[in-house]
Amino acid sequence: MRKTFMSSRSLVATFMISMAACGMATIGCGDSKPPAKSGAVGGGPSATAPPAKFTLAWSEYPSWSIFGVADEVGLIDGKAGAMGSIEKKYNIDIELLLASYDQCITLYGNSQADAVCITNIDILGAAGSRNSVAIMPTSTSAGADACITAGIKSIDELAGKPTRGLEKSVSQYCFERCLEKLGKNPADYPFSQMDPEQAAQAFQGKDEKIPSIMVWNPFVMQSVRSRNDAHVLFSSESIPEEIIDMVVVGKDSLGKKGGSDFAKAVVETFYAMNQRMNDEKTRDATLVGIGARFAKLELEDMKTVVTQTRFYSDPKDAVRLFTEEKFQKETMPLVSKFCVEYGLTPAPLELSFGTGKGVIDFDTTFVKEYLEQPKK
Amino acid sequence: MIRRDIPMWLFLALAIGGVVALLVSYELLSARQTRINPKQTTIPSFAKLNEGLQKIFQPQGTEENPKPPMFWNDMRATLWRLFVGLGVGVSASIVIGVLMGAYRWIEAPLSPIVMFLSKIPPTAMMPIYFAVAGTDQRMFTSMVALGIFFSMAQSIYQAVRDNVTDESINKAYTLGASEMEVIFEVIWKQILPNVIDCVRMQIGPAMIFLIAAEMVVSDAGLGYQIRMQSRVLNMNVVFVYLVILGIIGLIAEFGLVSLRRWLCPWFEEGTR
Repeated sequence: MRKTFMSSRSLVATFMISMAACGMATIGCGDSKPPAKSGAVGGGPSATAPPAKFTLAWSEYPSWSIFGVADEVGLIDGKAGAMGSIEKKYNIDIELLLASYDQCITLYGNSQADAVCITNIDILGAAGSRNSVAIMPTSTSAGADACITAGIKSIDELAGKPTRGLEKSVSQYCFERCLEKLGKNPADYPFSQMDPEQAAQAFQGKDEKIPSIMVWNPFVMQSVRSRNDAHVLFSSESIPEEIIDMVVVGKDSLGKKGGSDFAKAVVETFYAMNQRMNDEKTRDATLVGIGARFAKLELEDMKTVVTQTRFYSDPKDAVRLFTEEKFQKETMPLVSKFCVEYGLTPAPLELSFGTGKGVIDFDTTFVKEYLEQPKK
Repeated sequence: MIRRDIPMWLFLALAIGGVVALLVSYELLSARQTRINPKQTTIPSFAKLNEGLQKIFQPQGTEENPKPPMFWNDMRATLWRLFVGLGVGVSASIVIGVLMGAYRWIEAPLSPIVMFLSKIPPTAMMPIYFAVAGTDQRMFTSMVALGIFFSMAQSIYQAVRDNVTDESINKAYTLGASEMEVIFEVIWKQILPNVIDCVRMQIGPAMIFLIAAEMVVSDAGLGYQIRMQSRVLNMNVVFVYLVILGIIGLIAEFGLVSLRRWLCPWFEEGTR
């Protein structure tokens, strides 16, 4: 009776439905598995096991795009299953995940990435869901976050006028801290939510309702140039070494087999790239490489950018920052207060500096080990 | 056998069973994730979801400067944008759709344009809306309105063409109706159920544009809150908001179907 068991159309439909079901099952598994599956799926752990796999989520930002360039020059290979020279040295496989900054935070906080490039403000929010270790500062904002206005010449004039930028973020932190430093009450200066890219675009398009924006680079640079009446009212230059860009690894990931090798490899990659940037011969090429991964900026722009985003290119400088009193006793408590005030964390988180006790630990072990390495 | 009926009690039992199975497996998944990372917020347990629910109804702001709970603030912003956008979009598409269906000389110049533009995903046009319409209510209105306008005008125009027979129009003319009377008494009344169904179909897409835009440019609204809360990894609030979005969808669906049944009891379902 039923010679044709299924018509071709129902076959196609069945196929598609089963594919979708498989897809959902895979996604489900992915979510429920521990972070970044280490080791091979079927095989148990063994001494000569294939290199442990780790993922680093990064977004385009000067001192983070460095990892993209490191992939290009072969120090690391960002694809899973392929290894660059530093990866081979430590026998680990680093997978680079390029995503938008917000996505990076979500990836890391939800344990879909072992490590993330993040600021010292946003990490507090993420550390609420995952114990974290900051292994190295990569740069600090020295003008890369700025309040740009049009038709508003002084800070007093800005009072009561809306500034647009990303809420609960570095932008809002910088906005309030700068105002405090300048002796103003941040409560008099409304700040309202808008994606920084959209805010910059609207400002550049001379939207009259947006006379003031608080954004980060490349939007700072683009916005200042786009209009003759654009004017930097204040910037992160007023709060030196308060906004720190860093690499953070999940404590769970660091504790995995090969975890500390992963941290060492990331540290070594960062400083190797910095050497290229400081070397006359490779400087321009490296900057061009970073620019290609940072809003497609050209060499001249990149030269400006690296003055506004000061790199911790000297490991000693990195150790100095994480161990000095100002960072531990002033900056981080201020950041912590901000995070509680704006609901990034429900209560102040326990911070620690090298002791490993806090939910977020600023640990210089790996940078120090890099310093102690015999130089070739 | 295909389409063999099952008893009502079994149907209900299976329906409830499906929901219960989903909830139980969710809680198990959450418990498993919590075993791996006790601080995880990715798959919040029901207890955590309840905390999220409490949180959205808590008053915001300080004592001197109190603000409404985030839920009301966001709902007000989103629903207002949605209603204004839908209102403008639906009325415009009814006018244009009916005119296109009624007059060949309006249909000819407009139908290729409407047909083409209805195929461009409105979310892809977001940058243009931002650039042209700014970032306030005007932008949300124009985005929702234009986002649904083209495909709705297209369906209404087709409904007028296909569902209103020549006979009924000729009958009306024979009985001495004016053109306006034909449009309002014959065409409009016959396509009203199609229009209501169209609105029902377009609420989903309208919500998509709206939420996507709110994630980017707004300082209040469901989309804004979902972005901000997922940014600070409060997934329990995000999940509660997603459930709320589902409930809004169900209410809209139920409301419009009831409206159609009440206004057009003659309309036979499923015969289109």
